[in-house]
Amino acid sequence: MGKSWLRDYIIKRLIYTVIIALGILTITFILVRVGPSSPADKYLANLAARGQDPAQVTAAIEARYGLDKPILVQYADYVANLFRGNLGWSFSTSMPVIELIKTHWIYSFQLILLSSLFAAFLGMLIGIYSAVKQYTKTDYAFTFLSFIGISIPNFWLGIMLILVFSVKLGLFKTYYDTTLPLFSLDNLKALVLPVITLGTGMLAGYVRYTRSAMLDNLRKAFVTTARAKGLPERTVIGKHVFRNALLPLITIIMFDLGSIVFGGAYLTEIIFGIPGLGQISFNAIFANDYPVVVAVTLIGTFLVLLINLMTDITYTYLDPRIRYE
Amino acid sequence: MSERLRDKVRGISQPLYSNARLINYYWQRARRNKLAVFGLAFIIFLVLLAAIGPFFTLDPTAVNFEEKNIPPVGFTIEQSVYSIETDELSTKEIHGTRRHPLGTDSKGRDMLAMIVSGARVSLLVGLIATGIAIILGTIIGVLSAYRGGWVDNALMRFTDVMMTFPFFLLLVLIVFIFGPSLAFIVLAIGLTGWTGTARLIRSESLSLRTREFIIAAKALGASDNRVIFRHLIPNVTSLIIIIATLSIPGVILAETALSFIGLGDPTVSSWGIILEAGQHSLNTAWWVAVEPGTMLFLTVLAFNFLGDGLRDAFDPKSNI
Repeated sequence: MGKSWLRDYIIKRLIYTVIIALGILTITFILVRVGPSSPADKYLANLAARGQDPAQVTAAIEARYGLDKPILVQYADYVANLFRGNLGWSFSTSMPVIELIKTHWIYSFQLILLSSLFAAFLGMLIGIYSAVKQYTKTDYAFTFLSFIGISIPNFWLGIMLILVFSVKLGLFKTYYDTTLPLFSLDNLKALVLPVITLGTGMLAGYVRYTRSAMLDNLRKAFVTTARAKGLPERTVIGKHVFRNALLPLITIIMFDLGSIVFGGAYLTEIIFGIPGLGQISFNAIFANDYPVVVAVTLIGTFLVLLINLMTDITYTYLDPRIRYE
Repeated sequence: MSERLRDKVRGISQPLYSNARLINYYWQRARRNKLAVFGLAFIIFLVLLAAIGPFFTLDPTAVNFEEKNIPPVGFTIEQSVYSIETDELSTKEIHGTRRHPLGTDSKGRDMLAMIVSGARVSLLVGLIATGIAIILGTIIGVLSAYRGGWVDNALMRFTDVMMTFPFFLLLVLIVFIFGPSLAFIVLAIGLTGWTGTARLIRSESLSLRTREFIIAAKALGASDNRVIFRHLIPNVTSLIIIIATLSIPGVILAETALSFIGLGDPTVSSWGIILEAGQHSLNTAWWVAVEPGTMLFLTVLAFNFLGDGLRDAFDPKSNI
């Protein structure tokens, strides 16, 4: 049989991804089209304010964006444009949306990467500890704290961190300094509060997931066997239990990225003034800059789609027990 | 445990809502979880606050610059005051007053009144939007499981598409396109937040579909509608209660976050709007950000505690 089932599975999974991608594009297209104001209206307000004739401007914009064509042609154009990387023109910043995103994505990326690493590393460590010391006082304390971490609204946590560490204690700046070079210690220091803000919720979640995944495996027969062989407890926990708990954990971490982390990063960027994609979408909302808001949501969604695809394939590859026929 | 006994414990043989003995049993189990009881108590307090609080508080919209930035009772801050006569800045101590127990914001509005009126907004949004999402999710989940075939396929692929959208980013897009009115925000959250419910209800219904009592109902000639509404849905009530309790905090947070980034209804005093103002007055009036955030945090915590307690109580395998 060899690995042919794996190839078939990957092909199946790719087709499925394309179907979901078309679904995403269709829903976004419908949303933008049925909205009470067309993109033209949003430009109109801006241009009319500069003393141009509204009727003329509308006609020009509709022709420019193909809004006078049949709806199906518009849909095809829209999909084709996206595939070419043409995300439209940002009115408020006077540049193509794709250029705007190219200059800003790195700020979101560094925030999300550092927060995920912080949360995953610490979360797994605490989770393992809690599981090994199940029903002790420390376990109860960590479980309770993780409850608080999950419930604390991250944007409020950010504001409270600024209040205590920036305003009262003066340890950090209240706003992210955009002039710092990306790979420098100062930049790392500037990201401490944002990373805690975004990472706390994730951290609490990972503590709970790790703890329960470890507990699931701790009672399995192979663990007893490992202990019976006389392996040191360290090896039993680290090599036998944790390795088996790790795979489902990685899936959950990947899933969290899309469902929680992107929204959290959006808010964290706004609170600390980090010029990432959330911040440019936020600015675009106030400037009525339609294409930017749509583009940021689309990029987030397609990233999730891609992450899901990669997680599934890696998971299948890594876990020899999984076979899809 | 025999199949019949297990059914009895889980209440499968009689739907939860009509079984007083079972409700009492679950309540006895849930009561042993102190955190869940705290959660329930806080939620009752919040509902009372939202329902009758506004009759006892000051007008939350009354602006009074004479009384701006007053700290909560028991706190004193130093404020710099500009005097026109001497053209000098001097510092003056401002004490909290009984008239404004939680202080005032930078426009002199009473914090207590704003927080009480914000509680009303949060609860309304939380309950109605969750209601819409749960009803939609249940219908889609049950239909999917019961019909199977292409209906199941189509509905589940649609669910997959909706699940791929990061929840908050989709909400931002929808509210940006359709405009920020409270009714619309509620609708938007309800129409996007059903996916998790649909999946859970589908898998629960799939296992129920092959149980004897459903097969018996079909054999007796019950119509599809009757099987779905009289037999399937009543038996997923406990699952629905758990999902609803655990969904409410996410919905409340979503509305607060939308208001916080300026996509909230500007005509209501949501906690998010107060928080946003609070972030800009951290130097002069820390309580404006601390108070609504604390309420939001406690509300989310209370629903999470209660939801977790209910899940344990409904789970026959957990020993509490």
